[in-house]
Amino acid sequence: MSKVTNESQAIDFVRQARAERKPFEIVAGGTRRGIGAPVPNLPQLDVSAITGIVNYEPEELICVVAPGTSLPELENVLAQRGQRLGFDPADWSAVHGVSGTATIGGAVSVDAFGPGRLLRGPARDSLLAYRGVNGLGETIRGGAKVVKNVTGFDLPKLMCGAFGTLSVMTELTFRVYPRPSHVAVLAVKDVGPLEGFAHLRKIARSALEPSGLAYLPSGNALLPDAGRGAALIRLEGEETPLQEKIAMARALLGAKLDDVAEGLALFNRIRDGAMFAGTPLDVWRVMIPASEVPRLTAEIAAPLWLGDQAGGLLWLAAPPASASLIRGLAAANDGQAMLLKASDEHRAALGLYASPPPALAKLRAGIKNAFDPDGLLNPGRIT
Amino acid sequence: MKLPPPDQSILARREEIVGALKAIVPDGVVDDAAGRQVFDCDALAAYTQQPLVVVLPKTRQQVIDVVKYAHAAGVPIVPRGSGTSLSGGSLPREDGILLALGRMKSILEIDYENGCVVVEPGVTNLNITKAVDATGFYYAPDPSSQIACSIGGNVAENSGGLHCLKYGLTTNNLLGVVFITPDGEEVRLGGKAGAQGGIDLLGLITGSEGLLGTVVEVTVKILRKPPVTRTLLGSFDTVQKAGECVAAIIGDGILPAAMEFMDRQCIEAIEAYNAPGYPPGSAAILIIDADGVEADVTDTMQRLAAVIARVGGISVEATDEAQRVRMWSGRKASFAAMGRLQPDMICMDGTIPRKKLPEVLERMAEMSVQYGLACCNVFHAGDGNLHPLIVFDQTKPGEFEKAEAFGADILRLCVKVGGVLTGEHGVGIEKRDLMPEMFTTEEMEQQGRVKCAFDPGGRYNPGKVFPTLSPCIEQGHLHVHGAQLPHPHLPRY
Repeated sequence: MSKVTNESQAIDFVRQARAERKPFEIVAGGTRRGIGAPVPNLPQLDVSAITGIVNYEPEELICVVAPGTSLPELENVLAQRGQRLGFDPADWSAVHGVSGTATIGGAVSVDAFGPGRLLRGPARDSLLAYRGVNGLGETIRGGAKVVKNVTGFDLPKLMCGAFGTLSVMTELTFRVYPRPSHVAVLAVKDVGPLEGFAHLRKIARSALEPSGLAYLPSGNALLPDAGRGAALIRLEGEETPLQEKIAMARALLGAKLDDVAEGLALFNRIRDGAMFAGTPLDVWRVMIPASEVPRLTAEIAAPLWLGDQAGGLLWLAAPPASASLIRGLAAANDGQAMLLKASDEHRAALGLYASPPPALAKLRAGIKNAFDPDGLLNPGRIT
Repeated sequence: MKLPPPDQSILARREEIVGALKAIVPDGVVDDAAGRQVFDCDALAAYTQQPLVVVLPKTRQQVIDVVKYAHAAGVPIVPRGSGTSLSGGSLPREDGILLALGRMKSILEIDYENGCVVVEPGVTNLNITKAVDATGFYYAPDPSSQIACSIGGNVAENSGGLHCLKYGLTTNNLLGVVFITPDGEEVRLGGKAGAQGGIDLLGLITGSEGLLGTVVEVTVKILRKPPVTRTLLGSFDTVQKAGECVAAIIGDGILPAAMEFMDRQCIEAIEAYNAPGYPPGSAAILIIDADGVEADVTDTMQRLAAVIARVGGISVEATDEAQRVRMWSGRKASFAAMGRLQPDMICMDGTIPRKKLPEVLERMAEMSVQYGLACCNVFHAGDGNLHPLIVFDQTKPGEFEKAEAFGADILRLCVKVGGVLTGEHGVGIEKRDLMPEMFTTEEMEQQGRVKCAFDPGGRYNPGKVFPTLSPCIEQGHLHVHGAQLPHPHLPRY
């Protein structure tokens, strides 16, 4: 393992690897190595020491940070100025049963968006610019440190969810958002999936700007008194406006809405996949049109599951034999099933996502080649 | 600004190419000189060029067949939506097929359950909103040209509008596209679930200015219209105070739906034009919208008024819809108002860090004197997107070149203070030669290799965005030795 502390060392490492034609794995906190096809027995480039807040300007809504910075540290710095990240990044170390500190670079690389995506989008909607080293050992900057920019190709988008296959990132610029002074978490309890998800979609279609809409089925460990299931609604705002939103939500649903004690912690546990910690089953994150969720959960009949994003994101834990059913249903419904956790053999066999059609595969391979023609960076991780 | 020289061998084959296109789209080929004239420019009207031929397909299959034909025949393609680009993105080529998608204008599906609409690329931005308006929904990005501009063009340019600060640009409101690659393959990226299952090519093609292929289907998010929108006008006796106010509003955690800045020259031109009643003597004004539920908007209005007072400004809230419309009427008429000063104008589009506003405005005022050309500023203050309008008279020899040079200096200044060449209008041909102000050679080559991944033949919209044709080489890397540019034998236009 080689540990680098700055960009120039990262450049040296990549150039050396290129000269020797030696592919490598990029690691920082090491909490997300269990996602995607395994990258076995490769030398590691440890970037966890490329860390720290580079430049934070709250009035510009911009925070520039080194990718090795831990998520809690970054969130804490932003919270002190009443701000936060837009994509509500998750720490999935409990799902993977690993210790270590989740970093912001890792969260961007795997696009670990949380329930707050509903309001401010996934990582790609927050990452305004990056600086990184491509597979040729060159420093490349993409995007810019302003909130509105269309100059040249939007390269930061490519970095989100690329699993480190395109660049060794050395600096990330985020658009950040005001943190509301008040948050409420409400639940419609004792509702089955059909009714529960219908409630959530109704709120999603309203003007209430919810920042979280999730459904927990009966017998779940996160909310034991859910009855037949619970539809959870997270609303935000200043004190008086928030009360108005709550009243509007009640009127809209015409159902009993209970305040959820420790609701914020509950949403954080949903975000971090706490329900799936310790399961021996494969864990999936399946994105599908929200309206299809009740039908698909019934068809898949996973032993453990929950619905986030008003149903647009389904978390599942299922035995390996269910893999083809899950992937097939996702594909048939305009969706994508991401394998979040499985054994090494499974990850190697199933891949992170289903194989793309040939024309799309060709474009993706072309992009990989454009950044890393020698295939040095995290080879095979997402193909 | 020049386009790469036309390929004479293509010009010689014109008749054959027209014939082949007529076989694909029998009722949609424009090849006579008068007909082609209609398409000889977009909204950057200073540049004109008759296309080789115009083809207006009606179906996805026709697009595929045209693209496959052009690929096989080695003919460049320039895609075009409604032709409202302000940067010359759809300026035709003498040796290129102009692929105009304006006849593909069906709304394919409205899906309220999943909050999205699926349309063909020629549907106008405003028609998406109109299709869902009656049920209380809308499509958020609202470029000024929304009555005419097409959603396909919006995807190509990553169009913005007044409400970007809160609701984002096109890229943030797009769930999926069906895309035809330059070799005629159909690729689906995303969809109603907004999931791509791999690297974000949807994000890449959004704002790619027609360099990577053609969009034939677009899925966008729709939002519920906010129940309440109110407007407040802040006036300031110095630009400095207005700039401070913008920073203080954002720093206070307020996210207005829109926040527009206008400087003294602009206010005076507007008052002389349609007299919306802006406070006389103001050095700068801000027009600010807040939207949301009633209590939210009331709360925001109070906080805005407090911030404006704190920095020494005066605020007036519109008390009824008529006053609200009047406040906005000035902003919306700003182009027309400036147009009365001189017959021609160009509109620049840099973005700067908000805190640099007073410095940049001061420098621009100096340049205005230096160039002897009037310039006024309308500015999406919330997101730092400047729109300096330079007015001039094209009939005076050398004046257009002077205006262009002035504009280029403004954009260089934007980059120098940490900003960018274009916030929402695109690079196109207009800012192409300024790209090296912002990017290193290695960064330009990186972008060039991305282009090669989609279009190794370099036939899609050549001459736009990048100042040099980027030859696609197998291993993808161009070496630069010393100060020597790669491939010195290649034409730099």
